[in-house]
Amino acid sequence: MAKISIATVFMALISLLLTLTHSFSTENPTDRRILVLLDDLALKSSHSIFFNSLQSRGFELDFKLSDDPKIALQRYGQYLYDGLILFSPTTERFGGSLDVAAVLDFVDSGKDLIVAADASASDLIRSIAAECGVDFDEDPSAVVIDHGSYAVSGTEGDHTLIAADDFIKSDVLLGSTKIEAPVLFKGIGHSLNPTNSLVLKVLSASPSAYSANPKSKLSTPPSLSGSSISLVSVVQARNNARAVFSGSLDLFSNKFFKSPVQKVGSSNKYAKSGNEQFVTELSKWVFHERGHLKAVNVKHHKVGETDEPAIYRINDDLEYSVEIYEWSGSSWEPYVANDVQVQFYMMSPYVLKTMSTDKKGLYHASFKVPDVYGVFQFKVEYQRLGYTSLSLAKQIPVRPFRHNEYERFIPTAFPYYGASFSTMAAFFIFSFVYLYSK
Amino acid sequence: MGKSTVTTKDDAHALFHSLRAAYSATPTNLKIIDLYVMFAVFTALIQVGYMAIVGSFPFNSFLSGVLSCVGTAVLAVCLRIQVNKENKEFKDLPPERAFADFVLCNLVLHLVIMNFLG
Repeated sequence: MAKISIATVFMALISLLLTLTHSFSTENPTDRRILVLLDDLALKSSHSIFFNSLQSRGFELDFKLSDDPKIALQRYGQYLYDGLILFSPTTERFGGSLDVAAVLDFVDSGKDLIVAADASASDLIRSIAAECGVDFDEDPSAVVIDHGSYAVSGTEGDHTLIAADDFIKSDVLLGSTKIEAPVLFKGIGHSLNPTNSLVLKVLSASPSAYSANPKSKLSTPPSLSGSSISLVSVVQARNNARAVFSGSLDLFSNKFFKSPVQKVGSSNKYAKSGNEQFVTELSKWVFHERGHLKAVNVKHHKVGETDEPAIYRINDDLEYSVEIYEWSGSSWEPYVANDVQVQFYMMSPYVLKTMSTDKKGLYHASFKVPDVYGVFQFKVEYQRLGYTSLSLAKQIPVRPFRHNEYERFIPTAFPYYGASFSTMAAFFIFSFVYLYSK
Repeated sequence: MGKSTVTTKDDAHALFHSLRAAYSATPTNLKIIDLYVMFAVFTALIQVGYMAIVGSFPFNSFLSGVLSCVGTAVLAVCLRIQVNKENKEFKDLPPERAFADFVLCNLVLHLVIMNFLG
């Protein structure tokens, strides 16, 4: 009995060691192991182009049925996967120990998520999305219908197959190559809270879209309509975990990847839809192959010196520098931008300067310490759409002048100096005159 | 009406002349002291005028300069009181003693000013 248990413990520790060496680390931010939960194993073949493209980029995909009782995201407190793909819109309950709270903890720990809903999305998927700020249409039978922007097909459809081309303008999210062809979409729409700064609409519906049941007549105006319907959104959490929420599982399917598309009303016929490019670029972003920044080597020193002092004096001239790199998928490349700012902050920024770069990742700024003493911080707060947020703070005290650092003679006080000495001289002369006058 | 203005002007002239005559009767040493006091007050006024223009930045220097003038004036006035022969109160005080007090007090005053001048 003891021998068997020792052997199992040993094997478990060995496998844990193996998983640890292959997991996400700060030196290599691209996710490696991804758990894919499907509600139907046929999805493995019907979405094979997407999965093969992920595997060819170096990801290890672990396919499981969503009600498999052996599903476990973490073991012994360590996460086994760096990313989670939920292609299981109809699943009411996950197998194993996975539930909404476990998925949210996964995202809270910094890992990434792709969730695809569909026309029959379950409450489980809807609540995961709602917790992340994405509100799917509450009507369970509603899908997105667009009579002005549907994809022309051979059969007279009910216009639920939409050709969407209203992309977010961001090279970080969607790559630098423009997606020419519209993206085919068939599924449910969701809305985002406009005050939420962490969620972004990547693919919006056209102004003529609305979310309703295609089989029944509309009795009331639909709750979701127009461009406020988002078809695909992304969430970048404050801990830089990234999630993609799509209202259509077919967006990722081989059928949509390969099919030609023509939007109604436009004469452009594209032989291939934009789905494959869209999904590939978005997956590169969500799994941290693009737009992941790191800031290292924060340095500050007085102008003319090289080592960092422990304290500055007011009205000193100092220089601050930081190196920012962007992960390119395989290596750290210098990040080039002209809007990185550094603040010299104590309750409010006394100095706010835009840093200049030498295009090799080094950003520097030099400024004069303000005429206020106290404990300041060098703060760099950098949040740009699609990039990880940088939040650096380095504390440094600032002292006032020592008593021997003031100027010895104040020029504006020369008249007073003169007056005092002149009264002394006058006293001296007066006493002579007074005593020696008869 | 004309007569009253002439009268006022005449009165002013008469007053001025009588003051001048009375003053010229004072002893020379008192006149020297008066001159010294005028100089000190004049210097103080210049400093106050300068401060009004420029602002009171090194306030300690301003106070030190004004105090030296004012203190000098005060001590000189005390010396004049004590040395004046017409003053019944200080009849028995030797003028040398008054002058010695004056010198000592001035030394202390200038010591204080040098320290406070910054």
